[in-house]
Amino acid sequence: MSEGLDYKFLVDTFFVALSGVPIALAITIVALLVALPFGFILALTRINRIPVLHQFAQIYVSFVRGTPIIVQIFIVYSSIPLLLDSIFTKYNLEMNVYDVNPIWYAFIVFSFNTTAILIEVFRSAISTVSKGQLEAAQSVGLTNVQAFRRIIIPQTLVVALPNICTATVNLIKATSLGYALSLQEITLRAKVAANVGYNYVEAYIDIFLVYLILCSLVEYAFKRYEKRLIKYKAVNA
Amino acid sequence: MHEKEAGVIKMLEIKNIHKSFGQNKILKGVDLKIDKGDVVVILGPSGSGKTTLLRCINFLEKADQGLAVFDGIDINLKTASKRQIHSIRKKTAFVFQNYNLFNNKTALENVTEGLIIGRKMPKMEANALGKKALDKVGLSEKYHAYPSELSGGQQQRVGIARALVINPDIILFDEPTSALDPELVGEVLTVMKNIAKEGTTMLVVTHEMSFAKDVANRVIFMDEGVVVEEGSPKDIFVHPKEERTRKFLKRVLPEDFTYYI
Repeated sequence: MSEGLDYKFLVDTFFVALSGVPIALAITIVALLVALPFGFILALTRINRIPVLHQFAQIYVSFVRGTPIIVQIFIVYSSIPLLLDSIFTKYNLEMNVYDVNPIWYAFIVFSFNTTAILIEVFRSAISTVSKGQLEAAQSVGLTNVQAFRRIIIPQTLVVALPNICTATVNLIKATSLGYALSLQEITLRAKVAANVGYNYVEAYIDIFLVYLILCSLVEYAFKRYEKRLIKYKAVNA
Repeated sequence: MHEKEAGVIKMLEIKNIHKSFGQNKILKGVDLKIDKGDVVVILGPSGSGKTTLLRCINFLEKADQGLAVFDGIDINLKTASKRQIHSIRKKTAFVFQNYNLFNNKTALENVTEGLIIGRKMPKMEANALGKKALDKVGLSEKYHAYPSELSGGQQQRVGIARALVINPDIILFDEPTSALDPELVGEVLTVMKNIAKEGTTMLVVTHEMSFAKDVANRVIFMDEGVVVEEGSPKDIFVHPKEERTRKFLKRVLPEDFTYYI
């Protein structure tokens, strides 16, 4: 194959791959929306050693971290339809499990996954905020909820943000595994386009570029946000 | 209902407070009475339970047993409901050894947080009160400084302003100067003297003997979880009755410490 790269295909497929971005972002955003609150709350149960929940969180983190995402996807993708099917049959519901949009399975897997990661991120971040901050808030008449919302969470977030950024970027990249669910995301779209004329190298370069651009933009956004949050800290240096 | 005795308004009474951490008994039945306008200083060696006593009064620790009579209302220090705890915290203020300013808030925001969020005061009104409180502790120039931009002494003065601004019935001071560099202690003590002069009711745990001598109207000496002796500064410093008090004072009082009557 000495023709070199097919530049027209390269450019066209770039836009094909780009059209998968909304799906990748949708999965990322849903996963974060689920994982941020649950991760925070479960991290609190671990720090305060709330019985049952604290052990549950610990085991949960071990399970999710100790298995590859692709395996988690296979398990969810193969077991949930069976489960749903038996429920549908039992209650005589006129629904076909195989009509369910595979993006729902992606939402489930990636939400579970990100929650586990954020439990650990928040656990370390919360423990950097001294107990005195909560006590001071209580002493001026704030309720615990107010103290967390106004004092503890903003300080936790500053510490957690770099790790949340890493988790988000990892999440975006991991959505490429959605192709295993036949999800029309970035990787699958480009690969399908490549199948026609066997232009795999061009397709892979396009995928590479799309993820790179997407992740760089997200990193930039996080940096900007961090700068805004951190304004109370830097001045002394 | 205020309980009046010869024109004195009883503000806070603590009865038989007990507290242990594990096997370690920190408070073994302490009683305490504070009238309106009192400046009470608690002295004692470290580990005597002074700080724990203060923290139990404000429910930062939960006592194992004990009763607080606040403005004539009985509150069980062990079984108080969330609402009772909240109501006591709204009537008291706490100044911490390590200042504990809200790191993510400016000096002014630190002071107004309890007004705007805790008491739902309009922001304009809270800001005016907050500025007045910061002026009072000599920080008119630092309204918008973050704690990381302030010295220890300045931070503690913000801490005192934060306590003052909510106009509490009593301010609890937990060793307010012991985390400070020696040259910064003076500015904080001056502020405390000023607010004492204005009639603020204060309960102060401190190692500053000169403050106890000059400002307090009552001194309590605690050791091993009990009140050993209490009386006027003169009683304690000049005529201590108990051997333990004498030993402690001999150890901590500076050579040139004299009690002027």
